[in-house]
Amino acid sequence: MALACTLGFKSNDDFNRSLQSEKTDNHIDEFCPKLNIENIAQFITLPPYADPAQYMKMVNDNVDRIRIQFLKGTTTLAFKFRNGVMVAVDSRATAGGFIASGEVKKVIEINPYLLGTMAGGAADCAFWERVLARHCRIYELRNKEKISVAAASKILANMVFEYRGMGLSMGTMIVGWDKRGPGLYMVSDDGERISDNMFSVGSGSIYAYSILDATYKYEMSTADAIDLARRAIVHAAHRDAASGNIVRIYHMKETGWEKIEEKDTNDYMYQFREDKTMNF
Amino acid sequence: MGDDIMSYNGGVALAMKGKECVAIACDKRYGVQTVSERLRFRTNLYELREQRKLKPLVLYNMLTNLLYERRFGPYFVYALVIGLDPKTGETYVFDSDNIGAISDNVNLATVGTASDYIFGLGELFFKPNMNADELFEATSQALLNGVDRDSASGWGAVVYVVEKDKVTVRELKGRQD
Repeated sequence: MALACTLGFKSNDDFNRSLQSEKTDNHIDEFCPKLNIENIAQFITLPPYADPAQYMKMVNDNVDRIRIQFLKGTTTLAFKFRNGVMVAVDSRATAGGFIASGEVKKVIEINPYLLGTMAGGAADCAFWERVLARHCRIYELRNKEKISVAAASKILANMVFEYRGMGLSMGTMIVGWDKRGPGLYMVSDDGERISDNMFSVGSGSIYAYSILDATYKYEMSTADAIDLARRAIVHAAHRDAASGNIVRIYHMKETGWEKIEEKDTNDYMYQFREDKTMNF
Repeated sequence: MGDDIMSYNGGVALAMKGKECVAIACDKRYGVQTVSERLRFRTNLYELREQRKLKPLVLYNMLTNLLYERRFGPYFVYALVIGLDPKTGETYVFDSDNIGAISDNVNLATVGTASDYIFGLGELFFKPNMNADELFEATSQALLNGVDRDSASGWGAVVYVVEKDKVTVRELKGRQD
């Protein structure tokens, strides 16, 4: 090929055409371009009305006797402690009053050292965190090092900021471990991105916060942290109508995340009633 | 129309007929207060005046009347009435919306936020002329499994089985989420 090139020989078969098409770093985006406000119409069918957020809200209440209620309502939580980050979520998806599913996976495994949680619109969270996974992988390939939690959460926040006001509903926590140690960011659909030691997102978060605030200590042991996370979800599942079914717990460590458990909240509720830590 | 206010507190009830027995079951979300007090007042007065116990049909008509009195500012309740005549063994199951619509004496009735799901299960489990035990099983299974599909119902259940000589109350262990 080098000889043919030097001699100015231009062949037009597939292999040579692909060599000639300048597949450099910058152009990779042409084959899988980044979604932004200008090229959005190529990827997502835009709605035929002016203000999507307003329309969605109306449809959620009642428009011409049609009422579409999106899958929302949840309890998710995550907190940093001495040995990493503990993440716990419930598994219920409700559409209005109807329980559409009791087995939703609300922790999205972006890659072996990054986790994202799902709260708000199920479709919105699942889709955009998958796009985030793609960006993280490309970063890894280009830079030969893992992406930081700060950068990953910033990519997600910037992506959803482009759609601000269009009715996305997403309250997610990005959890990971990078060279700065454990990382925990909360990113929401209005473009908010904040870092702190403890977050809970969703309709049941108010109940989870009470349990967390009561016994949280940074110096907790791993076993205590698992117990605290579990109890917070179980209490929220009891009181919040839109949360319940299964509790899933993940532990983010230096070596990546580990799935701790996936159990029925109802069994825990009866167990906690037995040892008098819960009343009903 | 009054959809949101009716599902604000949530809750559900189911009633089924058997052979000379009737069962009514409800979840344990919140109790009904004002309407039951006012109905209790009227039934007490009736029993004092007439010097005899109320028949099921009379209770039902009283209740629907009470509800219709508030036609233009209704109570936010759904109603189910069951009854058994201890002499003849005749069974009654009626339901009503929140403004007192009268229904026929039916085999199976459900009301509440999870009523659609419980109707499906109830129709499946119902058989004509069940005895008290079969009736209890059918009612409880229909209710418990139905409320697990509704976020606004649950927290356990109570089932009353009314027979000619006794009323059995049982509390069911349900999902607490």
